Amino acid sequence: MLENNATIVLAIPVAILLPLGVALLINSHVRGWRVFRSVFFLPTAVSWVVIGFVAVRFFANDGILHDLLTRVGLGFIHPDALSHERSALIAVMITFVWSMFGTNLIIFLAGMATIDQEIYDAAKVDGASAFGVMFRITIPLLKRFVQFTFVITLITAFTALFSLIFVMTGGGPGFGTTTLEFFIYQDGFAQSYFGLGATAGVVLFVAVFAVSMLQLRLLRVDD
Amino acid sequence: MSSLAVARGHATRLWRRRLTRSLVYLTLLVTTVVMLYPFWYMADNAFRSLEQYQLQSGFSLDSWRELFRTLPIGRQLVNSTILTMGSIALILVASTTAGYALGVLRYRYSSAVFLLIISSMMVPMQSIIIPEYVNLARLGFINHFYGAILVYAALGAPFSTFLMTAYFRRLPEDVIEAALMDGLGYGRIFLQIMLPLAVPAIVTIVVLQFIQIWDDLLVGLLFLQTPDVRPITVGLATIPSQHLLNVPVLMAGSLISAAPAIAVYLVFQRYLIAGLTTGVSK
Repeated sequence: MLENNATIVLAIPVAILLPLGVALLINSHVRGWRVFRSVFFLPTAVSWVVIGFVAVRFFANDGILHDLLTRVGLGFIHPDALSHERSALIAVMITFVWSMFGTNLIIFLAGMATIDQEIYDAAKVDGASAFGVMFRITIPLLKRFVQFTFVITLITAFTALFSLIFVMTGGGPGFGTTTLEFFIYQDGFAQSYFGLGATAGVVLFVAVFAVSMLQLRLLRVDD
Repeated sequence: MSSLAVARGHATRLWRRRLTRSLVYLTLLVTTVVMLYPFWYMADNAFRSLEQYQLQSGFSLDSWRELFRTLPIGRQLVNSTILTMGSIALILVASTTAGYALGVLRYRYSSAVFLLIISSMMVPMQSIIIPEYVNLARLGFINHFYGAILVYAALGAPFSTFLMTAYFRRLPEDVIEAALMDGLGYGRIFLQIMLPLAVPAIVTIVVLQFIQIWDDLLVGLLFLQTPDVRPITVGLATIPSQHLLNVPVLMAGSLISAAPAIAVYLVFQRYLIAGLTTGVSK
């Protein structure tokens, strides 16, 4: 169960780097960037329950993923992701990355808006290339925001995936997608071991609290 | 000759710029497809009957009729509305008054109280949900709207108070001093001056909480277990398994449950973004 939590942590870098990359593209203020921003942020407004239902259709044996594979001539592969422990967890992780994309994107765009335009002008005068500007100026100045998205993403991964897991896999197959927070529900309510569930709740609190504190400490050292 | 070389250099640079630009657009378009496809999938399949879904051709309203026939969708939408509105009202009362007290009036220990409220934001819902359930069960609050509303309000109030306090602190103090000179009491200053000034922050809180509470499953699932008080998310998530195989009905249900929050998002996007980034820019 804690292994599942640990595995989900592996999705966090992806959930940060993808929106960071797209935010860098949008920040070059291509035409229509506001529209892109609204579209990418849309999943934030949608319930995990609804996202879960569509995700089930995507990963199911005869689902969208299988359709896509058939179209490129790989129809013999039946991913049937949700009925195997490992792949079910990966399916949950992919859905999680999809849902976090917009939130992290907005945070990065807010961060990029705080960077002084003059720095960019100076870099241009000095003849810096677009890539040089990206890696030497924008990304280092965004460090604080990267840390912030890390905390937000981790807290979401540990405390907000309940509905998604409930709808997609019910914690299964076996205990394949039972995370700490799902365990609290499962033991506390479905099986009425209130004591055990409450203890797991304390463990979850300590884990989240420790990470947040560590993050605060890191931030303070930087400033 | 040199002018020719320069012209050629210009031309390659122009092409390179066009190439990068097209690559940027290509990436953004692919991302758009990935982000929007689930919504299109919902809309596309909700308007088919089961047979039309299997053939993937033809549209009808059959699944909508089926949805309303087999599930108490109307009742559940009303329940969700009552829950969301009740909780938001309670959160607003608590957070505006607390924000005024902590941000403007500033009494002894107010910063300690503020810190305490902030730190309660860090407690995950799941960590306290069992003791909360036991307590509310003892009071007989389970399966009543007011029980769940209390839980939602308790969960939403800390962040909202944080937002209101931060907002009130930013308002210039002369406004209050001028009002005091005019002989207004602190109560009237709050009602007649501060509240109207705080409308943007209030809208932000309403939008954030609306989406949060309307979309929530866990609290409804635990605290509202009888069918007549279930909100729509719980109704969908606990849909009887014989309907689970009926994809078009499921998509119609998903669509109708997602619609209100999406509408709120589209209208008040700006406030939602402001609320989410308040914590960051400090």
